[in-house]
Order: sequence, then structure tokens, then C-alpha cells
Amino acid sequence: MITAPGLSLSGTADIAGTRVFGPLEMRVPAGRWTCLLGPSGVGKSTILRTFAGIDDEVALDGTCGADDGAPLAGRVALMAQSDLLMPWLTVLDNALLGARLRGETPDRDAARAILSRVGLEAHSDKKPGALSGGQRQRAALARTLMEDRPVVLLDEPFSALDAATRARMQDLAAELLRGRTVLHVTHDAAEAARLGERILLLTEHELQTVAPPDTPMPRAADGEETLAAQGRLTRCLLEAA
Amino acid sequence: MTVTDPTISDPVMVDEEETRRARARRIERIAKWVLPVVMMGLTLLVWDRIVVWNEIPHYILPGPRLVFATLVEDWAMLFDALLVTLQITLMALAVAVIGGVGLAVLFTQSRWIEMSFYPYAVILQVTPVVSIAPLIFIYVENRMAGLLICAWIVAFFPVLANTTLGLNSADHNLRDLFRIYGATRWQRLRFLQLPSALPYFLGGLRIAGGLSLIGAVVAEYVAGTGGIGSGLAFRILEAGYRLNIPRMFAALFLIAATGVVIFAGLSFLSHMLLRKWHESAMQGST
Repeated sequence: MITAPGLSLSGTADIAGTRVFGPLEMRVPAGRWTCLLGPSGVGKSTILRTFAGIDDEVALDGTCGADDGAPLAGRVALMAQSDLLMPWLTVLDNALLGARLRGETPDRDAARAILSRVGLEAHSDKKPGALSGGQRQRAALARTLMEDRPVVLLDEPFSALDAATRARMQDLAAELLRGRTVLHVTHDAAEAARLGERILLLTEHELQTVAPPDTPMPRAADGEETLAAQGRLTRCLLEAA
Repeated sequence: MTVTDPTISDPVMVDEEETRRARARRIERIAKWVLPVVMMGLTLLVWDRIVVWNEIPHYILPGPRLVFATLVEDWAMLFDALLVTLQITLMALAVAVIGGVGLAVLFTQSRWIEMSFYPYAVILQVTPVVSIAPLIFIYVENRMAGLLICAWIVAFFPVLANTTLGLNSADHNLRDLFRIYGATRWQRLRFLQLPSALPYFLGGLRIAGGLSLIGAVVAEYVAGTGGIGSGLAFRILEAGYRLNIPRMFAALFLIAATGVVIFAGLSFLSHMLLRKWHESAMQGST
């Protein structure tokens, strides 16, 4: 894998003349898991879209990109709250979509290997409609891994899952995305406390850095430090509102 | 797990409830087929009795038995006519699919093309084909081509409108994903928009199937007796002139049956193409 770059963003952004965020100065360290926590409507997803390069509607006054100077296009993968699977393709073909679009010969064996890493080997020939919500997100994770991009953007990918499935998905993603630069947008303080190696708190007024627990992630959901951090983050969110 | 409540744990009661529900489902499944058939039988019987008891002459209202006898007797002639009408209908449907989908793809590729041509598509659709048909038969020498054009005008619009809607309703999040993947315009069309449009297209196709039959029949009426005009509509006209009412009914029956078969065939096609992934055709989805 190519070395993962860090990300940086500075400036202000408007959509149709309305300020969405900023002015702010944001840095996402290379090869680490960064959680961007904040209430709804403060521009978290807009920041993610700006990094992903799908921000046509956003007028950014400032800079955005990788800290190694090279363009981000082609080095970014995205997982969103909706699984973004093509309902007419099998799970396997969904995982191979990127390769197919690039005109490469699809590497079915590699895809099957990755599907078995996320525990979907028995479901590779099913359509997404036949899977549960958790299984669909695992398929989306498999596709993200298949793409093997150094930068992974997560837009609340686990928020629609039930508690136990979510915790399992968090562990799986933490394990499989290790070493990549991950920017994880979430509104869940518990999730940020479990996963964040760096935690950014975005409110309407400012972007602040909150110290994460010292223990390595993924942290136990019931760990003392995790719960303490979750409490701290929730208090920050309450005070900011 | 142990259940302590005796009223719930009683297996006999649960079984009875289950059996009753299963029986209701079975009855409904049978009734779905039996009821329309019984109704049809009753209608035919009443029709027959009305004709017999009132001694209605066959040149005013033939009884169902006479219609059936005519259908058998004139089968060779009516079947040839059916083939002619069917040929025009299916060709018109094919051209409507090619034209409708082609235009829809053009429209979604360029706003300018859509703005320029969409009004004309609407004008063609809202102008009754009966009123354009005579002009078409004046300008188009070839009868077959004239019939096809008429049927096409009626049938292509639902395909165009539905496919355009479908191509434009591809999930925005998936479009974003394709951009991140660096997909070209063509790839987006081929791998995202066309599959997304398929359910919409099939809905339009089912409407267009019926309309192309209507178009073909109307065009035959207008085209009259010249050239190859020997389809079912022409046979109805001709039988009308001769006061051969039973043959009119027989030809009418064939047209209706053709329409039903076309609709059923297209519904089946739609079901087969969508049943694996689209909610409209999936069974047992929540």
C-alpha cells in the first residue's frame, strides 16, 4: 500500500450564499483514525464531500487537500450511512465495481478473500436486497477494502445499525482500515470515544480538539476510559449547543 | 426458554390458529382464479339466455355460441388478419422502444437537446392519432410504413417519459460514488443510470404494449381497404359493411385477447427481470 497522506482543510465554505462552516483550520494526521464529531447541520458532511471532491455545490474559500501536495483524486474511498451498493449486482460484483469501472480484469479471488474477511463468503452471490443492514455495511466495507485507497472517508456508516451490530462493525472496520488515513464523521460521542485516535469537535462556532483516551483503539465500549471520554464529549456537545 | 403462561403455551390452540390462516390463504389463492372464470361463465350464460329468450336476430346481437362457431369457421381468415395486426403491433412496439429509449438517453445527456425536442414529443403524444393518420397516409406511399408510423406515435411516449424519469432518478449518493471512482459519462450511463431506469422503462413498456395495439388498430381503420389492409380492424370494418355481426364479435374477441396476451407477456418479462433486486417484484421483502 502507498503511504497514506494526511489531510488539511482551511477556510470557509458557502452553499448558495449561506455559510456552511468556517473559518476553520483542520488537520487530519496521516495513517490515523480521526473522528469528526458534532451535532447535525454544522457542515461535517460538507467537509467530507470537499475532501472527496464531490462538492460542486460548495464554494470553498480556502485550501483543501493532502499534505504531501499531490491531488487527492483517485486516492479516496467513501463509506456512507446508506450502503451505496448497486441493488442489481451481487455482493461480489459490487465489490468488483471499481475494478470494472477502471477497465481492469476483475480479480474475483481477491474479492472473495476480502468478502470472507468481513464474514460474507456465504453471501457473495446474493443481491444486497437479500442481506441484513449489518451485512450490507460489511459488503460496503469489503468494497472499500477492495479499492485499497490510502484515504478512507466515513460518513456515519454505522449509525443506522443496531447497537451490537454497530459495535462489531466498528471493531471490524478498525482492524481492517488500520494504517490508512481515516476521517470518520459521526454524531455519536460513544463511537468517537471508542475509535478516535484524534477527536475533532465541530460546533457552529469553532473546531476544537478533544484529547482521546490513551488506550489503543478500538477501545472496549464499557472501558472506564472510553466511558469517561464519552462523558466528556457529550458534555462538550451540550455546552456547545 | 420456558413458557409458563398456559394459555400461550397450548400447542393445540396455536396450531388451530395457524391452520385457519393457512386455509384462508389457500382459499384466496384459488378464488383469485376461480372468481373471474365463474363470472365470465355467468356473463356468457346471461348473454346467451337474453339472445335466445328475446329471439334477437343474429344480425343485431349474435349469441356467444354463434360467435364461437364463427371464430372456428372463419379461423383461417381471422388468423391471417391477426398475424397482420400482430406484426404491425410488435414492430411498432420495437420501434417505440428503440425510439423512446434512444431519445431518453439523448435527453439525459444534454439539457439542450431535451429543451429543444421535449415539446415536440408532447405535441405528438397529445394530438389524437386518428387526426394525424389521414395525413400520414397521404404523404407516406408505403401502407406498412404508414401503419407503423401511426402505431409508433401512440406507443413511444410512455417509453420516453418513463425512461427519462428513470435515468434521472439514479440515487444521488451512487452518482457521487461513481465520481469518486472516476467513472466516465458513458460508464455512469451504462452501469448506473440504465439499470436504475430499468423498472421505470418496464412500466412504460407495459403501457406501450397496449397502446401499440390500439395504434395499429386505429391506423388500420384510417388506412381502409387499400394495399395490405387486411388486419383485424379491416376485417371488423368489412364484416360491418356486410352486416356479418358474429364475425365482428369474433374479430373483436381476437383483438382483446391479443391485448391481454401482450400485457401478460410484458408483465411476466418485467417480473423476471426485476424479481431478484427491485422492490416492486421481490417477494417477502420487508
